Amino acid sequence: MAAPLVLVVLAAVTVRAALYRSSLAVFIAERVEVASPLNAWKRVVEGLALLDLGVSPYSGAIFHETPLIIYLFHFLIDYAELVFMITDVLTAVALYLAIQDFNKVVFKKQKLLIELDKYAPDVAELIQTPMEMHYIPLKVALFYLLNPYTVMSCVAKSTCAINNSVIAFFILATIKGSAFLSAVFLALATYQSLYPLTLFAPALLYLLQRQFIPIKLKSKSFWLYTMQYASLYLCSLVVIICLSFFLLNSWDFIPSVYGFILSVPDLTPNIGLFWYFFAEMFEHFSLFFVCVFQINVFFYTIPLAIKLKEHPVFFMFVQLAIISIFKSYPTLGDVALYMAFLPVWSHLYRFLRNIFILSCVLIFCSFLFPVLWHLWIYAGSANSNFYYAITLTFNIGQILLISDYFYAFLRRDYYLTHGLHLTRQDGTEAMLVLK
Amino acid sequence: VCTSRFWFNYRHVANTLSVYRSVKRLGIPDSHIVLMLADDMACNPRNPKPATVFSHKNMDLNVYGDDVEVDYRSYEVTVENFLRVLTGRIPPSTPRSKRLLSDDRSNILIYMTGHGGNGFLKFQDSEEITNVELADAFEQMWQKRRYNELLFIIDTCQGASMYERFYSPNIMALASSQVGEDSLSHQPDLGIGVHLMDRYTFYVLEFLEEIHPASQTNMNDLFQVCPKSLCVSTPGHRTDLFQRDPQKVLITDFFGSVRKVEITTETLSLDRDVAGFESKFPEEELATEPLKYAEQLPVAQIIHQKPKQKDWHPPGGFILGLWALIIMVFFKTYGIKHMKHVF
Repeated sequence: MAAPLVLVVLAAVTVRAALYRSSLAVFIAERVEVASPLNAWKRVVEGLALLDLGVSPYSGAIFHETPLIIYLFHFLIDYAELVFMITDVLTAVALYLAIQDFNKVVFKKQKLLIELDKYAPDVAELIQTPMEMHYIPLKVALFYLLNPYTVMSCVAKSTCAINNSVIAFFILATIKGSAFLSAVFLALATYQSLYPLTLFAPALLYLLQRQFIPIKLKSKSFWLYTMQYASLYLCSLVVIICLSFFLLNSWDFIPSVYGFILSVPDLTPNIGLFWYFFAEMFEHFSLFFVCVFQINVFFYTIPLAIKLKEHPVFFMFVQLAIISIFKSYPTLGDVALYMAFLPVWSHLYRFLRNIFILSCVLIFCSFLFPVLWHLWIYAGSANSNFYYAITLTFNIGQILLISDYFYAFLRRDYYLTHGLHLTRQDGTEAMLVLK
Repeated sequence: VCTSRFWFNYRHVANTLSVYRSVKRLGIPDSHIVLMLADDMACNPRNPKPATVFSHKNMDLNVYGDDVEVDYRSYEVTVENFLRVLTGRIPPSTPRSKRLLSDDRSNILIYMTGHGGNGFLKFQDSEEITNVELADAFEQMWQKRRYNELLFIIDTCQGASMYERFYSPNIMALASSQVGEDSLSHQPDLGIGVHLMDRYTFYVLEFLEEIHPASQTNMNDLFQVCPKSLCVSTPGHRTDLFQRDPQKVLITDFFGSVRKVEITTETLSLDRDVAGFESKFPEEELATEPLKYAEQLPVAQIIHQKPKQKDWHPPGGFILGLWALIIMVFFKTYGIKHMKHVF
């Protein structure tokens, strides 16, 4: 499997290098869909220039990166393109290894459940075979590397790529079962952008499952392990934040990074839902609505944890998608990360109901983003409502995609345990509905 | 200073312009007058006689014209600008005509009109100046030696409250009404549709018409202007801070620019001094320094200079801490047995 992966990597690197040398690089770097105030490359350069002039980079409202990024790019700023290409490759390799391991786990679990006779007799066609699962890791790496969203994000040199790679390493560490590494990477990811905090729950569930600790609220070993993991995570987070203090000898970075993420002061248009809403709102209500919008990201963790406690990796996928839809400054790089996981659930294809419409919606919206931006900003014949409409449609497409996958997953699970041909009490054919 | 705007306050502008005219007639040039008006009367769409401001009914006297020099007009008439003019705390870019360039031998006349109340005067319908602020401004002027003697006249409702708080020496104050009384306007003109003048100022101006640069009328006569029968309100005055006897103070000390001229019959020879002046200049060596810009690097050299080296480096402690953490994580994950391979 190594050779095809290397081939894919080479192809991806070629595409990116070609785009870097072309004139599209400048055009893509300015697009708001890939460069948000949090991760635009221009701002990184500006922050480092300010530092060279002896001013704290957090003093204006320009730079919102964490101090570790300052440290990284202080030495690597001349090789920025290489850095981003390597980051993308690392992410893809991490995802590849993670999904390889995950497939083994899935297969083992399936075998166990078959032997325990947990499955209904007529579900032979639903069981996953090693044959069809053989190419999934390669497909995942392919999906990530050659996704146009990722390519554009890389050419724009948006630090979202670094964010994605940290999350990918976190997923790799979790699936391999190392609680310590997974806590460290999760702390790094949370330190970078606040939202991966919600990935704590699926990681914990996966690790508990791996240790064969049952998830009951009264069980002592459950709480012990949870406490261990939580303390590892919190300690690493505290250590990283204190270390960042020593870079510039000031706590300036906390309001600039986390205050900025949470309070959303910059309302530049992006593919998210925050900017238009808060541009129209009265000052009086903005605090309330900021809280409501931010809670929306974190809110789905508990119900999903309850429903998906047997399937933590799917939970992680759904959670990643929710983060990239509802976060305060989403970019296409975030979307690319969860889309890389879609091949893992390709066995759900027969249960997906709206996949054609949704893929059309997503593709059309991706094409319409630059068109309506041009109409609004340059031609002046449209206004922000047009662009926001496309944003809304894109997000609705994403949300429906996720809920479709969710439905398909739960439906397959139900069929596995209850048999493919469901009948109601009076004997007619029944249909599963997601309520 | 006229502190009100809008068409129905026509009379305040007419008041101010009439006093301005009298003062100019008595010899004070525009360079020594700071005139603050909202200046929205003459060109107001409601003015049936555009470009004019009349102070007397039947349109006898147009006090507006092209020799009226308004220094602070329209929205520049604010409390802040007024106090800045008085105290001299003006930004360096202010032109001379907007400054009060007085020194410790100057006699200053301040005339204010508008709407007021007990202890305050309303500026342009949006802010107020209090009597305390005004008293403090005068004290600043005294400390900075910006006046020799100051005459303060105010024609508003409850005008006497504005001079109650003065505490600096050499100030004399007159007001058109006492606290609790309103100053009333004189006569409306049915052709223009508004009141043209206030009573107190009207009678003060009648009084001033008889003053000429050589007249010996003194302040006590000014205090008698406009008794209650004519003015309906009781004018007030305050002389306790003034060091001279008001009887001996001439009106023209404040309202006119009267110079003391001595006529002499001697002849002075000026030749000596002129020669002295001429000899100064040629002998002086103007020490010219070599012009600095010629010594700069040529442009070609400047643009090819190397960019400045990066000055900022992450602190050593940070780098040490970070790499120590990374190594600790590595060894924790992969076991201590690798350590002996590293070392």
